[in-house]
Amino acid sequence: MAHAVKHHPSLSLLEQYTEGTLAAEVALVVAAHLDFCPHCQQLRHDIEADIGCQLAQQPAPATEHADWQFMLQQILDVQESVISPAIEKSSADESFSTHIEQGQHRIEIPRSLQRLAAKRKKWLQLGGIATAKLPSIDDNHLSFLLIESNTEVPLHTHKGLEITLVLAGEMVDEMGKYAAGDLIINTPDHTHTPKNISDEPCLCLSVLTAPLEFKQGLTRLLNPLQRFFY
Amino acid sequence: MLDRCGLTSHHTSEISLQGSSMIVQQDSTPTIALGQWEEALNVIAIHRDKSMYAELFKYFAPRLRAFGIKMFGNEQQAMEMVQDTMLNVWQKAALFDATRGCASTWIFTIARNVRFDMLRKKQSRKDDISADDLWADGDYPEQEGSHSQQWDLYLIAEKIAPHFHALPPAQRLVMEKVYLDELSHQEVSEQLSIPLGTVKSRIRLALDRLREAIDGSRS
Repeated sequence: MAHAVKHHPSLSLLEQYTEGTLAAEVALVVAAHLDFCPHCQQLRHDIEADIGCQLAQQPAPATEHADWQFMLQQILDVQESVISPAIEKSSADESFSTHIEQGQHRIEIPRSLQRLAAKRKKWLQLGGIATAKLPSIDDNHLSFLLIESNTEVPLHTHKGLEITLVLAGEMVDEMGKYAAGDLIINTPDHTHTPKNISDEPCLCLSVLTAPLEFKQGLTRLLNPLQRFFY
Repeated sequence: MLDRCGLTSHHTSEISLQGSSMIVQQDSTPTIALGQWEEALNVIAIHRDKSMYAELFKYFAPRLRAFGIKMFGNEQQAMEMVQDTMLNVWQKAALFDATRGCASTWIFTIARNVRFDMLRKKQSRKDDISADDLWADGDYPEQEGSHSQQWDLYLIAEKIAPHFHALPPAQRLVMEKVYLDELSHQEVSEQLSIPLGTVKSRIRLALDRLREAIDGSRS
């Protein structure tokens, strides 16, 4: 994780992530990027400091209808000894995966994915490509994508956004070369063919906001492939 | 990084800036001036000081409510968020670390996480992405920012001017004070009565935004 990340989220994406207004799946991809990227970590802290300052500097609301005294008393009345162990217990129950295993591969994953990785669905394999879904709630599909060495993902466009974060290994497409930590956002206008031309497998985290649409004649016939990716 | 939050500057700014203590007085919190919330949190953590907590509550709860109404567009959820956030502040005050940021920044991050988890819980599935997955608790290694200096040069260049005007007002104001009026970060902090750390943060954000506007990439 030591090399310099080259492809970053835009500042506005980073702001929405920090505010907590992004869709959860997209926020997760940004969070995983931050695990690789000290530059964006710093920006996140800067944005938090900025918003924190705005919060503190708001003028006091002119009129108040809320019963603050009641709320204050409720907070102070909560028995701490009762609450604290319960909080610790619920988080201790969770399982975490520090690595992703697929076939003979065992690949380390960043902190932000370790809890959810333990809840991933089974791997589905097609040629040199394997995919495993992660639980998602909004209409965005979140999955791991493992591209074996010397494997090409069929040419495709997207109806929505496709956001990909490289977690390990390398891949290339028409636009450039990507390594661990690099974030790639493809809009519906992009047609691209990601390839892994290295000797190592490439693990990615991917969010799709709409089904993929395959363009090449042969792969277009392979309709199940669309379901496979989505 | 110790002064990220203006920890070293608060007292000077109180003395030199009559205006800021006036504002604080209007907020009916005469015993605690702006910038002392970090100390208040430490007292709350160590002594479980209820009257100190009540002061902090009186200052932040109404502001969080206003903040929450903007975020939720709904009074009831905003109040639920305020209560949950302020409960966390009371119970977890010991986790606050002033070397990592201001009290208000810490309180904002709690509110954000509470809100996020509130919205998730509505869908009520345990597998959901949680705030803990998304926002690491500030334990990233510290980075020393050296990129600012090389960008100072670019600021003189004319091509930056149109983008400069597109900066968010708060960032633009700080940039004008530093680069046009040539004030020190400390002086800007005192003039605008904002923490020194916030001055530095706004400069870094503005520089990054300008860089993004100019070459479309960030590194």
